[in-house]
Amino acid sequence: MKLFTVSIFILFILIAGSTAMSESIFPYTYRAERLPNGLTVIMIPMESPGLVAYYSVVRTGSRDEVEAGKSGFAHFFEHMMFRGTKKYPAQVYDSLVTTIGANANAYTTDDYTAYHLNFAKEDLEKVIDLESDRFQNLDYEKAPFQTEAGAVYGEYRKSITSPFALLNEKMQDLAYDVHTYKHTTIGFEADIKAMPEAYEYSKSFFHRFYRPDNVVIIVTGDFNPDATMGLIRKYYGSWQKGYVPPQVVPEPPQKGERTAEVSYPGRTLPIIDIGYKGDAFDPDNTGYVAALVLGDLAFGETSDLYKKLYVKEQKVEFIASSIPMNRDVPLFEIYSMVKKPEDIGYVRDEVNKTLEEYKTKPVDVQRLKDMKKRQKYSFLMGLDTPDHLAGGVARFVAMTGGLDVIDRLYSKFETITPQDIMAAAQKYFTPERRSIVVLKGAKQ
Amino acid sequence: MKTAPLLIVCSLLALASSTLLGGPTVSDDSFVLLPVTNDPTISFRVVFLVGSQNDPAGKEGLAGVTASMLTDAATQRNSYEQILDKLYPLAASYSASTTAEMTVISGRTHKDNLKDYYPLLMDAILRPAFKQDDLDRMKSQTLNYLENTLRYASDEELGKAVLYTKLFAGTGYGHITSGLAQSVRSITLDDVQSFYKKFYTTGALLVGVGGGYDPSLIDDLKRDLGGLPGAPSVKVHNHNDLNASGTGTSTAARQSDTPIPKAIPLNGFEVTMVEKDAPATAISMGFPIDVLRGTKDWYALAIANSWLGEHRNSSSHLYQVIREERGLNYGDYSYIEYYPGGGGFTVPPQNVARRQQIFEIWIRPVPNETRHFALRAALREFQKLVTNGLTEDEFRLTREFLSKYVLHYAPTTMQRLGYALDDRFYGIKGSHLEMFREMMKSLTLEDVNAAIKKHWQYGKMAIAVVTKDANAFKDALVSDAPSPITYKTPKPESVVNEDKEISVFPVKVKAGDVKVVKVEELFEK
Repeated sequence: MKLFTVSIFILFILIAGSTAMSESIFPYTYRAERLPNGLTVIMIPMESPGLVAYYSVVRTGSRDEVEAGKSGFAHFFEHMMFRGTKKYPAQVYDSLVTTIGANANAYTTDDYTAYHLNFAKEDLEKVIDLESDRFQNLDYEKAPFQTEAGAVYGEYRKSITSPFALLNEKMQDLAYDVHTYKHTTIGFEADIKAMPEAYEYSKSFFHRFYRPDNVVIIVTGDFNPDATMGLIRKYYGSWQKGYVPPQVVPEPPQKGERTAEVSYPGRTLPIIDIGYKGDAFDPDNTGYVAALVLGDLAFGETSDLYKKLYVKEQKVEFIASSIPMNRDVPLFEIYSMVKKPEDIGYVRDEVNKTLEEYKTKPVDVQRLKDMKKRQKYSFLMGLDTPDHLAGGVARFVAMTGGLDVIDRLYSKFETITPQDIMAAAQKYFTPERRSIVVLKGAKQ
Repeated sequence: MKTAPLLIVCSLLALASSTLLGGPTVSDDSFVLLPVTNDPTISFRVVFLVGSQNDPAGKEGLAGVTASMLTDAATQRNSYEQILDKLYPLAASYSASTTAEMTVISGRTHKDNLKDYYPLLMDAILRPAFKQDDLDRMKSQTLNYLENTLRYASDEELGKAVLYTKLFAGTGYGHITSGLAQSVRSITLDDVQSFYKKFYTTGALLVGVGGGYDPSLIDDLKRDLGGLPGAPSVKVHNHNDLNASGTGTSTAARQSDTPIPKAIPLNGFEVTMVEKDAPATAISMGFPIDVLRGTKDWYALAIANSWLGEHRNSSSHLYQVIREERGLNYGDYSYIEYYPGGGGFTVPPQNVARRQQIFEIWIRPVPNETRHFALRAALREFQKLVTNGLTEDEFRLTREFLSKYVLHYAPTTMQRLGYALDDRFYGIKGSHLEMFREMMKSLTLEDVNAAIKKHWQYGKMAIAVVTKDANAFKDALVSDAPSPITYKTPKPESVVNEDKEISVFPVKVKAGDVKVVKVEELFEK
């Protein structure tokens, strides 16, 4: 999930940068509508000969896994959504999706779950039929439920050999006490092992969260919005509202620095992850928006520290930051892979020193300007296919329910000054908010 | 795609040439152009027909390191830091990717920024600085990948690397692009410079440009890339049977003149087991096939392969049997073309073309206790397919699927450009992706089943296994011991009955054909 948040950050910046030349930064005209049952539909036509992308964004992710022992369930449930209905049993669903040659899949994040299909425009009604059916009428027996739990465990197994999986698991566990960001999206291994026993729970998960008032449909590409809206009303109109928001316990302010080491069973260069409690996504929060800018300026490829540690001194294999957008308080993180274990302290101190400098020294105005230019062009280049467009806005939609937040964020971004960046550095990057995890390989 | 601009293989203009300043230029024949007038960006793919097959003995990894010394390092005009600073406001970049036969330098810029971007790209290709500190950085990255990431962080990629190096041992494909650790350590600036001089020539060059560019850009490229040395290092020839059969769909292929790697014939199941403290078992297996895209048999085999194991798709039959019905892992797929980095992509990569391909089955990690069962399950399905072929229904469904699914292979200009360049490599006149859809209309079940019989066989296959307690698995394989499976949860009767057959499905492996290696020894020398 961490890597994902990095890319989302980039996307945000892209979007933030694009409207220097117009009222709205968003280059496409879109239409948003809400059905009486609460289902939100966002339609963004674009030039894409014959191709359409269709995203169903459920505003539920691993953040919503509030019950003990149920970490990873949002992701597991994403798998169950492919197990069929009475009208279209799993094999029939698969075969229909195969017949139309759709590129179909799904993914789960900390804050939301997205189901996506790319297909030829003549198959749009078939897709709406299939998707509306499984979201309303999912129906599976206990045996396939238990079999799918095996596939999820397999997904965990194929991922856990990466040192970053272990590092992120440790960091989230260390930095959070009560909030559900304490666990990763795939969940704790013990909870994954116990998934086959949670058949009844899975049904309640579906009934509480898979409701129209918790779902946004995004359609992008080559389609007729009026006709599409008519089809969506027809197929989703009878879906009953009834979303029950989970009681996610807020994380109390951190009171002091936390540190941990984790041992990776294989061989790896050491990795340092320095995380600071940030703020939830809020386009009106100057400090938060300034922090989004700060991460790239301080640790990106053109930063002094990157040039020093990666290019000149060659002390690190890489250094990068992640300032994510989340519904609740995320971690603002700086990762570095260090070439020699004896340099761990040095690299950590250099990161701290850099953050201290940002608290007192205003950032160069030209660099800030360059960054805004970069953002504008990244944005223009980034949303080039229906899938990239729908996938690119999915997190905004998941966090806020709509796209208007993009303009608000952009307006704020344009106002960010070197002083705002200093204030953000002073606010967020303090020892009290900090957690540090150092991962080392067990084998040399 | 239907209305996507047609690929135009450059037929440029005496006109343009006349505006040039004399000196050497790159021939029209080396250009592949894909103009898209309403695209605000310009995509570049500059391909050199050089790759890890050209690594000198003892310098395995040199092709990859040399490529990265062009794109991730200083040029004669700018330090690497200056390059990063200059690219930053453009939101543009370029990077290099090397495989066995191809090195591609690709990048994309908004057309507003072309005037700032173009000189940086040309400097990277034409005027690399080749500085020692940059080389140290590139070697360090490559060694970190070989010694840490590949050996420990992804057992799936490890399994695939072991399979390829086993099948092509002793040939140009016999080592992975990143090379061997000892060889990488020994690479010097002289090595990089000599390699660059020898292989980065106009004769080895294919230039792809796509998007909303002005025609004058092509003149600039012809003039500027003409500054490369001109040694002819590629062979131009026809290999395409569609051409031979008179359909006129092939053209001269642009490929390296190094000998086509010939794999050592397999005697039976030849197993390489990597012993490591693995939490699960990753399996890759396959054998060389003599069929390339652009030929009728390839498209016929693509239908059979898609049915058996379409990449990252639940329509894959192996996926259905191993994951969907039994929950043993995250996915199970098969391939008739090289498909690096398969865990990270849902559609095939471009510019990784090879003259010698393999058929490959990829079993994502399964619990160690089910490794023997999972191997049997996959081999049993493959044997059934080779013996019986596809049914009419399977054929029709898969053909229908593919005729639309290939639309997703190249939605961007950059991807279409990649395919167009690969068309030149394979000698396909027109477009592979268009031919793919056309062939779906004309191929018959008989064509598909004949291609299976001709190109696939059961029983001679290299198998790479990354696992714990490899010797115990070796013993079980050699004795062909039954591998009954139990589940923590109930399974339908049909699955239970089939499991009985799978658990004793004979897979005859000779003790001498199983080699157990330690992970630390891999990719070392």
